[in-house]
Amino acid sequence: MEEKKTVRKAGHSIVRDYLVLVMIAALVAITAIVEPKFMSGANLVNIMRQFGPLIMVSLGMTFVIMGGFIDLSVAGTINLVAVVTISLIQPLGQAPALLIGLAIGAVCGILNSVLILSSGALTQAEALFITFGMSTVYSAIALLYSHGSTMHFWDIARSKSLFEAIGGGNLGFLSVSFVIFLTCLAALWVFQAKTAEGRAICLTGGNKTAARLAGIVVSRSIVVIYTICGFMAGVGAIVLFSRITTAAPVIGAGYETNAILSVVVGGTTLKGGKGSVLRTVMGVLLVILMSNCLDLLGVSSYMQYAVKGAILVFAIWLDNRKQA
Amino acid sequence: MKKSGIGATLYKIMTKQKAFIAILVMLAGMLFSRTNFYTAYNLLDMLNSTSILLILAFGVTFTVISGGCDLSIGGIMVVSGILAIKLLDVMPMWLAILVAVLFGAVVGIINGFLVVQQRTEPFIITLGIGLLLTGVAQQLTDAHPIPAKNPDFMMIGNGDFHGIPNLVLIMLVCFGICYFLMRYTQFGRNLYAIGGDYDVAMYSGIDVIRTKWLGFVISGVAAAVAGVLLSSKLNTGSPVYGETTALVVNCGVVVGGTSFAGGIGGIPQSALGLLVFGLLDNVMNMLNITSYYQVLLKGAVIVAIIWLDCYGNKRRREFV
Repeated sequence: MEEKKTVRKAGHSIVRDYLVLVMIAALVAITAIVEPKFMSGANLVNIMRQFGPLIMVSLGMTFVIMGGFIDLSVAGTINLVAVVTISLIQPLGQAPALLIGLAIGAVCGILNSVLILSSGALTQAEALFITFGMSTVYSAIALLYSHGSTMHFWDIARSKSLFEAIGGGNLGFLSVSFVIFLTCLAALWVFQAKTAEGRAICLTGGNKTAARLAGIVVSRSIVVIYTICGFMAGVGAIVLFSRITTAAPVIGAGYETNAILSVVVGGTTLKGGKGSVLRTVMGVLLVILMSNCLDLLGVSSYMQYAVKGAILVFAIWLDNRKQA
Repeated sequence: MKKSGIGATLYKIMTKQKAFIAILVMLAGMLFSRTNFYTAYNLLDMLNSTSILLILAFGVTFTVISGGCDLSIGGIMVVSGILAIKLLDVMPMWLAILVAVLFGAVVGIINGFLVVQQRTEPFIITLGIGLLLTGVAQQLTDAHPIPAKNPDFMMIGNGDFHGIPNLVLIMLVCFGICYFLMRYTQFGRNLYAIGGDYDVAMYSGIDVIRTKWLGFVISGVAAAVAGVLLSSKLNTGSPVYGETTALVVNCGVVVGGTSFAGGIGGIPQSALGLLVFGLLDNVMNMLNITSYYQVLLKGAVIVAIIWLDCYGNKRRREFV
């Protein structure tokens, strides 16, 4: 009797843990049958290109959620990094512009963590509202900086080959943005799984008091997770405006919810302490495949919002059941 | 452990009565500006334009007091508003409004089920429900504003009664109902107990699940009422107003002194908190501050006040 129960429990947990993979497989199978265009080369390249900005932001968000916090400010960070970087290409050249853009992303993250640490916010809800306020602040700075106008690549007289490569170039059969993604993924995975600091983040998310008693500097973990998140939002912003060749101060809207959605759907728990950047990749893959399938099946983009919301609610509910 | 002296008193005032202080500072500052701020017309107009946010805040307070929060109110507001306008074509006005409000109650029941019964994190699950409802609103309207054709419906939000705008009157009625529920009923007192300590409340024999659940239903209903009023005021149903409304209203409630930790606060506090935002908007418009700076200032105010709230919680934890 006992054994049967354990076997059934194990079966349940496998289905729960790998639900994302099952859903991806089911989605691909159904769409491939209903709409043969799905498996065409052009569509697959299209999917690879879409992997750009969202995955970068989601990878950074994974660390924040794993550490037991949340970051709504990525939308504002993306806005700010995009408009500042594109405006600096003309006066400074492209490499300095790129570096300054990434630095701004990291600074935004550090600023968030300083506010959270100094206020002593411990819960996700407190962090959520602080970062929401900061998102408004960053967006406002982006609006003030750009005077609300959209910058285009064709306004820039100087060479912008680097950004054009990021946006549409190829290295072999892979797009440049995909290579950037693989590099970031490798670096972050090594950081998360193979370094003491990475494991410290996991412990911090699991139980802050226990982490502190075990000798982990919790405040350092918090600074690290927000810095990574801000930096990755900066990377995402650069990939995003390079691809669409324009930067408006509202370019990042919606990225915060989509990133949280991808992370949670991937299986990183919102309670913190468990998760992986690899899971997030699966989550993003599911979200992108889903939009692609729904597009091919002719579902309106408005309805896709609703479907995303429903999946987010379902994923959180399931995550919660897993904990119980 | 009790500190005394001016520092401690100042600290107490800053954390407990920050909304009141902010309002006083703004009112005092406007004495020195040469604008039409101190006119009955302007002040009434300010109240009128804050009324809808206030009604949202009254509902949300029920969830925040019990230790939760509700970020789906933006979504509920737009969908209810659109529903009311769409239904006006096929049924009498009172029935359309009733259906729209019932919709809010249904979403509240779903929120309550997920948060209270299934014990999920309230802020993230309601954020998801809000996202879902925003999608539904866009689908219903094809992402365009839809006009209302019934002039009677428009009069609800734009008419006035002996010079006092209807919206302000409806807001005051909502205030009265919510204040009564919170202050003078067993349900209200139980909500405070649950927010103070969930387990203690449960062991004291309070039906915690049903009480907290009802809080979410009230929040949904209030959001739906606000949605109908917004549609009536603008005479259109539009999906764009829900985006940040929910976060701003929840922040406003905290600004007033109702803490996310639960168990502290009340309806009058929430009213003060939202008035800070209403007044800030009005003052910034009066002083001709450009809209980008307005966004910046609002964001900074939100961060500052939430920061103070968290800091107050931290101090309280350390004292205990």
